[in-house]
Amino acid sequence: MSEKNKTREPDAGVPAGLAVVKGQFSLIEHPADLGFEAQGPTLAAAFEQAAHGFISILVDPATVSGKERREVFVRADDLEQLLVRWLSEVLYLYDGQHYILAECRIHEITPTHLRAVLLGEAHAPERHTPRTDIKAVTYHQIAVESGPTGTCVRVFLDI
Amino acid sequence: MIDGMIYADRHLLQQIEKDQTLEQIANVATLPGLVGKSLAMPDAHQGYGFCIGGVAAADIEVGIVSAGGVGFDINCGVRLLGSPLQADEVSDRLEPLLNQLFRDIPCGTGRKGLHETTAKELDEVLLHGAAWAVQRGFGREEDLARIEDGGCLAGADPTCVSSRAKERGHGQLGTLGSGNHFLEVQKVSEIYDAGTAERFGVRENQVVVLIHSGSRGLGHQVCTDYLEIMNGKMKKYGIAVVDRQLACVPIRSDEGRDYLAAMAAAANFAFTNRQMMTHWTREAFRRILGTGDLRIVYDVCHNIAKREEHTVGGRRKQLLVHRKGATRAFPSGHPALPEELREVGQPVLIPGSMGTSSYVLVGTDRAMAETFGSSCHGAGRAKSRTAAKKEITAEQLLDQMRAGGILVRGRSLSGLTEEGPAAYKDVSRVVDVVHGAGIARKVAKLVPLAVMKG
Repeated sequence: MSEKNKTREPDAGVPAGLAVVKGQFSLIEHPADLGFEAQGPTLAAAFEQAAHGFISILVDPATVSGKERREVFVRADDLEQLLVRWLSEVLYLYDGQHYILAECRIHEITPTHLRAVLLGEAHAPERHTPRTDIKAVTYHQIAVESGPTGTCVRVFLDI
Repeated sequence: MIDGMIYADRHLLQQIEKDQTLEQIANVATLPGLVGKSLAMPDAHQGYGFCIGGVAAADIEVGIVSAGGVGFDINCGVRLLGSPLQADEVSDRLEPLLNQLFRDIPCGTGRKGLHETTAKELDEVLLHGAAWAVQRGFGREEDLARIEDGGCLAGADPTCVSSRAKERGHGQLGTLGSGNHFLEVQKVSEIYDAGTAERFGVRENQVVVLIHSGSRGLGHQVCTDYLEIMNGKMKKYGIAVVDRQLACVPIRSDEGRDYLAAMAAAANFAFTNRQMMTHWTREAFRRILGTGDLRIVYDVCHNIAKREEHTVGGRRKQLLVHRKGATRAFPSGHPALPEELREVGQPVLIPGSMGTSSYVLVGTDRAMAETFGSSCHGAGRAKSRTAAKKEITAEQLLDQMRAGGILVRGRSLSGLTEEGPAAYKDVSRVVDVVHGAGIARKVAKLVPLAVMKG
């Protein structure tokens, strides 16, 4: 699957803000907690969509904007672990550093690492409508599947 | 490989069969160095790696420790406070009391605590647990004897807790959390064992408070961190698991020792949490009802791994008992119990779901013989959150509670419906199973008067 090993190079002439990649996001039933699937035309797009969807579980994304830039580098042994560590990073930034991701762009991704640039802002409870606390990202039934129409990721969260 | 054993009646077993609980009990049974059986309590439901409501004991010398066998919310647990008041003395003051509690105790999604700790203070919390809080005026010295392990797990090492975990935790000390965490003002509606109830400090019609909370972001991050470490190191020890959430390492490995030291630290954070909330509960009672004399009946962990001595195959053995959504249930005479409870046995606190009964039980010799001194922890989920929300609206749920005479305050309407009674198994049935199996004995039934949820 060539998609899995693709490194996405930054687009030429990328504007100062980040492009939001069009994709899909849907919640999955779970006996106790919450799962979701996120899709995108590429691996990077699916991972970006997963992060956006993840944030939308934490807060109302319509209340989040932001120009504070952060760079993220994640290393892993395989794609599933990369996905868990990527979302765990987003969770740590939210819960530990009180930084909420508004937009993200993964400009490099392989099965064992990714580099991303985030735009977001400091968490302000009076402005950012909270939704659901997430305790952790789990490996339960985790999936990263790529095919001709794009990539779909699935992950369950302990809430 | 060991056998599995489930404590359930037919109805609960049918519910257990609907998700992956049975598979998870079987998967746990394959872990190295386990003794006895891979156990599931009647409130068991699917978890991550281990089922919720699972108990698994490993031989200290040759067995494994698994971060997933404790869970993300390390020392999620329950504390029961007994007041000197009777229910009819407070009925017309319940609403202001609930409002005061809601004002004074931070709860809800993303809520920060009232006491943001410095790095040094946080390390002291992780080392000393509830004693840290008592020394700072959050409670009394005599509180500590009525908390599992005196409110402080030995062997805690703050240096084994990552900076990320500390960052997540330092602003969350003294917060209730959200999800299925709650504080309930209740009354004792029925006494099953008068002698034991009296020794516990529980009497009919008494006003009590039940607090359900855990280690917040700090504990969640500790588990996340060590799952990654254990996943990375298993191969070195020749361990392979069928599910990444079962990642484990030998207890007697550097990683095993570090995890247990970090787990103890996170457990101490949770004990401190519940101690601070106890203090604010006392203050709210004093302000609204004229007395803050609430005494701790007991405080139990239900996500933890404990070093304990048990008899296995006729021999005394040192074990590491993983309890994930299960409660310790030690009998009378056990040396781990404080002197004031040793003659009667350990209180076992079983919270119901919102609007339903909770129970006080006592540990038994049979629990020691069959379940490594363990019992159930609550009702256990029966429905997904999305299914629960489809069944009832928040307004309908609030009407139901009001019709039952129960006041409710919550920060999230969605959270209320997800945690409504229809989403959970019947706690009375769960308690009847453990009572009937003899692994804990019913002492008292508690019913809610006012509920506070995050």
